[in-house]
Amino acid sequence: MYVNEYRRICELTSSNDHSIDERLEREIKLARNIQAKLLNGFPRINGAEIQGISIPARLIGGDYYDFYRLENGNIRMVIGDVMGKGIPAAMLMILTRGAFRSASESTTSPAETLAAMSKALYQDLRSLKSFVTLFCADWNPITNVLTYASAGHNMPLFVNGKEKKIVDPPKASGVMIGAFSNQVYEEKSVKLEENNMIFFYTDGIVEAENKNREQFKHERLINILLEHSHKSVDAIKKYVVEAIHRFTEGVPPKDDITMVILKIHQESNTISFIHSKE
Amino acid sequence: MFSYECVQDGQNVTVSFKGDLDIEVTETMEEIIKKLQPFQYVHINLGEVPFVDSTGIGLLIHLVDTLKQENKDVTISHIQPDVEEVFKIIQLKEILGEEIFAR
Repeated sequence: MYVNEYRRICELTSSNDHSIDERLEREIKLARNIQAKLLNGFPRINGAEIQGISIPARLIGGDYYDFYRLENGNIRMVIGDVMGKGIPAAMLMILTRGAFRSASESTTSPAETLAAMSKALYQDLRSLKSFVTLFCADWNPITNVLTYASAGHNMPLFVNGKEKKIVDPPKASGVMIGAFSNQVYEEKSVKLEENNMIFFYTDGIVEAENKNREQFKHERLINILLEHSHKSVDAIKKYVVEAIHRFTEGVPPKDDITMVILKIHQESNTISFIHSKE
Repeated sequence: MFSYECVQDGQNVTVSFKGDLDIEVTETMEEIIKKLQPFQYVHINLGEVPFVDSTGIGLLIHLVDTLKQENKDVTISHIQPDVEEVFKIIQLKEILGEEIFAR
């Protein structure tokens, strides 16, 4: 009798586990859809192209990018990497997105935006023992000046498409969000020209590993960008993703892979925002 | 696969990490923090850590912060070039204090 009763309890628990698994799977899918939608609005610009993609290492990710159209007509963009992976990182990514949008309303420069985000997020990130690295840039489509600040994030790659070379713009220093409560960020500017391309990215790209534990590294990324710099940003994005897949040969990614590409086609540009259906 | 080894000498302990410092180390780091409690001087050897990601840096910051809050002296040494590059981008020296990084 006890054996039968035990068996029945096991069956009930197992069927309950099964329904919990199904519910979790469904909720993760919904969360993934929400995240994909939030990462899908790109500004449409006459005379320039902008595109981005984020491929999570797990079902959902902690990498982040966003665009915000400022009242003066400039485009503010941000790319970032939330510490950790999966659901916890995705939750912090949403928090970061809210802080970026709210800071963009009230600040006039990338450095100010990062400082405001640092102030807004510090307590939460400290209590969660987490942090976020961010690179924030304002692009003026009329003057083509890109002004930027970094919170512990890697500098983007600047590709001179005419001369087919990578140029080193001035480095902007600043520590990641969540390290100090009142952080001040340095700001730098660079003038973009026709056929210049800026490749913003997270470390998941250069640190992608193959089965021999070799990393993709900057050299491979730079070679692809130089080889295809004359093509559309959508094509370049695909070449980079394909090259990483080819290189890793099916080794599961350790980190999210995220990039935003801005390419200038002519000196002066006008902007509208679209929501991609991709 | 991550592992670590502690070698003690009176109030000094050298903890040597072996393997990638990433999300898989989360639980082990709490264990390491407990093991280091009795010592005043903690030397963290990263000589056999080929890769650190953002989560790993977070864990390292958590380890150093916890030890410093207990007024322990902490040093980090033998950082591999790839890892050093990641630390540089994230400006870890500014966050943890330059004095922690042994020459």
